[in-house]
Amino acid sequence: MKNFFLVLLVTTILGFLIGMIFLDLPAIAQIQSKGGSNLEVTVSKQSIGPVWENPVKFIIRGSISSGVSAKTISLLLLLTVVTAFIAGVRQLIGLQSFGIFLPAALSVVFVVIGPILGIGLFLLIIAIATLVRFALRKTKIRLQYLPRMAFILWGVIVCVLIVLFLAPIFGGIDFGNVSVLPLFILILLAEDFIRVQLGKSVSAAVNLTTETLILAFASYLILTFAPFEQFALLNPEILLIAVAIFDFILGKYIGLRFIEYWRFRKLINS
Amino acid sequence: MKASSILGLNARSGVYLTPLNTHKARRIADSKLLMFQTLKKAQIPTPLVFKKFKNPRDVFDYNWESLPDAFALKPSRGFGGEGIIVVKKRATDEKGHKIPTVWVTTQRKRITVQDLKLHILDILEGAYSMKNVPDVAFIQEYVGRHKTFRKYAYRGTPDIRVIVFNKIPVMAMLRLPTKESGGHANLHQGAIGLGVDIATGITTKAIWHGREIKYKPDTERKLHGIKIPHWTTCLEIAVKTAIISGLGFTGVDIVLHPEKGPMVLELNARPGLQIQLANMAGLKKRLERVEDLQVRDAEHGVKIAKALFAERFADRVAAEEGIKTIGVWENVKIVGNKGEKLEVRAKIDTGAWKTSLDKDLAEKLGVAKTSNVLWTKVYKSSLGSEKRKVVNLTFYLAGRKIKTIANVAVRSNLRTPIIIGRRDLEGFLIKSNKTYA
Repeated sequence: MKNFFLVLLVTTILGFLIGMIFLDLPAIAQIQSKGGSNLEVTVSKQSIGPVWENPVKFIIRGSISSGVSAKTISLLLLLTVVTAFIAGVRQLIGLQSFGIFLPAALSVVFVVIGPILGIGLFLLIIAIATLVRFALRKTKIRLQYLPRMAFILWGVIVCVLIVLFLAPIFGGIDFGNVSVLPLFILILLAEDFIRVQLGKSVSAAVNLTTETLILAFASYLILTFAPFEQFALLNPEILLIAVAIFDFILGKYIGLRFIEYWRFRKLINS
Repeated sequence: MKASSILGLNARSGVYLTPLNTHKARRIADSKLLMFQTLKKAQIPTPLVFKKFKNPRDVFDYNWESLPDAFALKPSRGFGGEGIIVVKKRATDEKGHKIPTVWVTTQRKRITVQDLKLHILDILEGAYSMKNVPDVAFIQEYVGRHKTFRKYAYRGTPDIRVIVFNKIPVMAMLRLPTKESGGHANLHQGAIGLGVDIATGITTKAIWHGREIKYKPDTERKLHGIKIPHWTTCLEIAVKTAIISGLGFTGVDIVLHPEKGPMVLELNARPGLQIQLANMAGLKKRLERVEDLQVRDAEHGVKIAKALFAERFADRVAAEEGIKTIGVWENVKIVGNKGEKLEVRAKIDTGAWKTSLDKDLAEKLGVAKTSNVLWTKVYKSSLGSEKRKVVNLTFYLAGRKIKTIANVAVRSNLRTPIIIGRRDLEGFLIKSNKTYA
């Protein structure tokens, strides 16, 4: 089992590096975040039939003309795909992750501030939260649960502030377009993480984090893949109905998960 | 084994938990205090609850020196064994006098009233409860180790997990705390899981971290062949607990009190699936086998389980006694209701699976009484279909005692009142030309 996760971790990191070097993911993210107007042009070029055949397309067109960006709409539409994807990975493959909210929230954060900065900050925040928790335990400072959690988050926020102060000095990372909301989400995710960490071994916590990061990164790719965006905007009805049907079928699946074939391999082979 | 015999998480939730475990029943399982209350009313043995802490004031008003030397502090809605402190004795000063406000845990750590207070406040805040909702803490009687397990468990109390479905105990596992699990009996924390033969309560296989092991780690003490005392009582208590809680599919955790015997410690509305590896058996197949049976009460359910899920120790029998050769016609001694033995002529019939007994003979021996009937089943044969009773049966064949199940049929116009089927012929070799002398 441990080997399985190790392989998973290594392949993800490799995939991530390959993506960064050859596909220039940050650049793609940049282009896509600035290229919203292109999407709007694409939508307006599409000829649509009567209202009763394409109700969602009319709604989209209406909201775009009243000032909502096409990017927001495509993100929302693709978010249904992402939630279905995360549910599918859990039900069919069996990766655990922290529920559906955490990886989905992370992927949206990645879209807004870019995957590298996002993963970096997430790891930093988790590392600090864990450090503070262990420090409290080692020094035998006894605090009640909620104040303790507040104290851990205090440590996390201070460290993020320090990073924000140091970044312009050393350069390299551009925090110019980092708004407060993604940072906020990242910091608050630390609570969920620590809650899951309580009572689990270090390796279980690391596995869970790795799985969550993999899911979040894959979700990020879904959210920002240009053909998907275009498809979502041009065929919203098909997308919404297809995802709903997928969710429904997934909910009815009662077979073994992929990981369970591995877990019970000795039983199956006996 | 087919993959379809194995119960996975999807099927567990979708087929068994959601449809069978009602909201009300789950509420009982998720709150230990409510569960102990419910079981106490039904007179099912559980460890005593000394004190409940519902709000911080209870913590400050409590007279801590009145606590006994050994106790367990638990959150009511904890899960996975989290947030539990088990205290074994009071600490002593240099002169050997007991200190009233300091204790020693089973993990040999010193713990003061101050520690206990903070821990309870943590529990009340919901640090250990599901979804972190505010919780209630309670102090409970300490259940020590039964002497059978003293050499196997490391500084903790082992427990027996029994999966109950349709009033039938379908699978069981003995869980032994290890050094690594820190006294906890939860497998994911590093405890050892031992598969248990439902019929005899003898352990069969052991798993640790999902891998099969033969000996207790770092020792040469073998883990199979441990006989759990009070086994039938354990199973019956588990079924009674499942019935009273209303859970259709549940895992009941039972501990053996050194003096008071089996007690229910916990009730799980979402039992884990690792038990299948410990028993090397698929849970789904067993569940499907018993889902249509009409079970009268706990006793009946246990009887059915013992008949259906008995491990085949035939390999060991063959190794110890060698393979016996028998003829087609043999004399067998059937054990009656009151223990009397009756010798009759039997035909060894490898064409049949189950042993079949004549109706008149069954009634004469008293084995067809309602209390001994497991279920009735429609049998199809060349003579058409017929409803037959399936009963528990014990007989001696060629000096070997065979405990099995048999169906009851009218055999008055046949040559022998009993035929012995393949199910009971493991460890025997049949010589086709050797006839009954």
